[in-house]
Amino acid sequence: MAIDMKIERQILRRTETSDEEIVVNFGPQHPSTHGVINFVTQTTGEIIRRSVPEVGYLHRGLEKIGEMVTYPGYMPFTDRIDYVAAMFANEGYALAVERLLGIEAPPRAQYLRAIAGELCRISSHFIAVGTMATDIGAATPLTHGLRERESVNDLIEELCGARLTFNYHRIGGVSFDAPAGWSDKVLRFLDHLDSYIQEWDRLISFNQIYVDRLANVGVITREQAVDYGLVGPNLRGSGVQWDIRRDLSYGAYPDFAFDIPVGTGRFGTVGDCWDRYYVRVQEMLESSKIIRQALAKLPEGEIMAKVARKPKPDAGEAVGRVESARGEMLYYVVSDGSEKAYRLRVRTGSFLAMGIIEELSRGIMVADLIAIIASLDIVAPEIDR
Amino acid sequence: MAQGIRAYFGHITDVVTTFWEGLSVTLSYMLRRPITVQYPDRVEKRVADTLPPRYRGILEVDTAVCTGCMACERACPIGVIKISTDKDPGNPKQRVITQFDIDVGKCMFCGLCVEPCPTGAIAHTREFEATRKHVDSLVFRWVPDPAKPVPFYRPVKGQDAPRAPVGEILRRCLAAASWIERPSFLPEERKP
Ligand code: SF4
Ligand code: SF4
Repeated sequence: MAIDMKIERQILRRTETSDEEIVVNFGPQHPSTHGVINFVTQTTGEIIRRSVPEVGYLHRGLEKIGEMVTYPGYMPFTDRIDYVAAMFANEGYALAVERLLGIEAPPRAQYLRAIAGELCRISSHFIAVGTMATDIGAATPLTHGLRERESVNDLIEELCGARLTFNYHRIGGVSFDAPAGWSDKVLRFLDHLDSYIQEWDRLISFNQIYVDRLANVGVITREQAVDYGLVGPNLRGSGVQWDIRRDLSYGAYPDFAFDIPVGTGRFGTVGDCWDRYYVRVQEMLESSKIIRQALAKLPEGEIMAKVARKPKPDAGEAVGRVESARGEMLYYVVSDGSEKAYRLRVRTGSFLAMGIIEELSRGIMVADLIAIIASLDIVAPEIDR
Repeated sequence: MAQGIRAYFGHITDVVTTFWEGLSVTLSYMLRRPITVQYPDRVEKRVADTLPPRYRGILEVDTAVCTGCMACERACPIGVIKISTDKDPGNPKQRVITQFDIDVGKCMFCGLCVEPCPTGAIAHTREFEATRKHVDSLVFRWVPDPAKPVPFYRPVKGQDAPRAPVGEILRRCLAAASWIERPSFLPEERKP
């Protein structure tokens, strides 16, 4: 026993004083990695020399599956690409195949898509900001965030019958019209949300300890963000106003007026972790604005365009780009004229965020790496597909 | 120097005030009604009955109104549904369904099979509790005995198919599997 203690003390002294490097596998089963990802981290004491993400633990071959099932049959699989915000994964795929077929969803369906998508964005951002607070060490906000997310899930469940894997979109429209009385429920929730965000800010956003922990940490400059191809809130957190909903508008979005929040460096530098965090909080309010406008203007009419049960698009290729909760989501579909895709490719926001981690991790503290990973809002299945 | 001290203590004041701000939100929840549902044993109503009607639960087939068109089998992307049909030996003009299996253990509850059904014979129920001791027992055989096949239903023009209320058949099936004991880790069922 005594000898053990002696050796232990020796080891402790060595790691304290020498600059010997230790390689730590941070992950793949670690609660702070937001899924099954491994960060191979070279450390000297508390300082990280370099951290390289090792992805692929959740690879399920979803792109290959796209070549093996029919076009409509692939829709439930897109849910599994990003299960925290499945609406956008649905929508991107539906858009790509619709372009391939040369059809367009009827206006009512496009509005319903926008409403469902923005509800989904709210629920996804609550997970993002809640888990971020948990990773920093504040346990309460996640439970609050999850409670709000459950209310959104209740609404979506009423609309399409599922809480997580929605499978709501169809090629050429959506599967269900809004049930009777649903829009009132949504409006009631939005009223609650608008006031709740203020409570959320009091609870955590402006908490001085939280701010100190995030401000000036993991700063991504404007140039870096563009060079590394970041998308979505991670890009906007660095002050770049780029949003597919406005700049490459699709569906019903040209009809809505909404702001695009960007990072301002309120407590530190533009592009730090707090900026990325607060962009998400503000985006929830913008989503609420969009849903209100969409519900007010919701046109009557069909919710499905005329599509064959097993459509066979002409040979060609098409791209569907949507602004998902984690940034741009791009589907690239190649058809060879049969009822299955010849090639299907998905480009997702979380995967693009992995590239910058090695750059950001040089010379930071171990605890800051967790803040950076959380602030990039990584969802492991979306990285690996 | 004095400025530095002021900034230092100002910071501490900020920390304390914002900390109390957050804590006051948390404390206010002591006075609000909890929304937690104590599933499974302390719910007032069966959870399945509180779900919205569109809920995509376990599939149910009313073979009495099934036309044997196999549209559902073709629509399923992962081959969960297995239908076999045959000629009726007694009446060569009538075709019969000899097998209609749904492997609920494999099903992803996507709803693609329900959409093309002409009579609504296949439908999602709101049931979601069907624990079995083995995954093979999750294959629901809607034609239980191949020796007693079910004839095809012929839709009548301008008349809705007489579909049994969704969920009734499945509930009967689930209740018949009485060997599903109540798990020992749950407390005693409370008598109302
Ligand atoms: S719900 Fe989906 S997976 Fe299940 S049987 Fe129907 S089509 Fe197949
Ligand atoms: S359940 Fe419906 S879709 Fe399936 S074979 Fe019967 S009638 Fe056709």
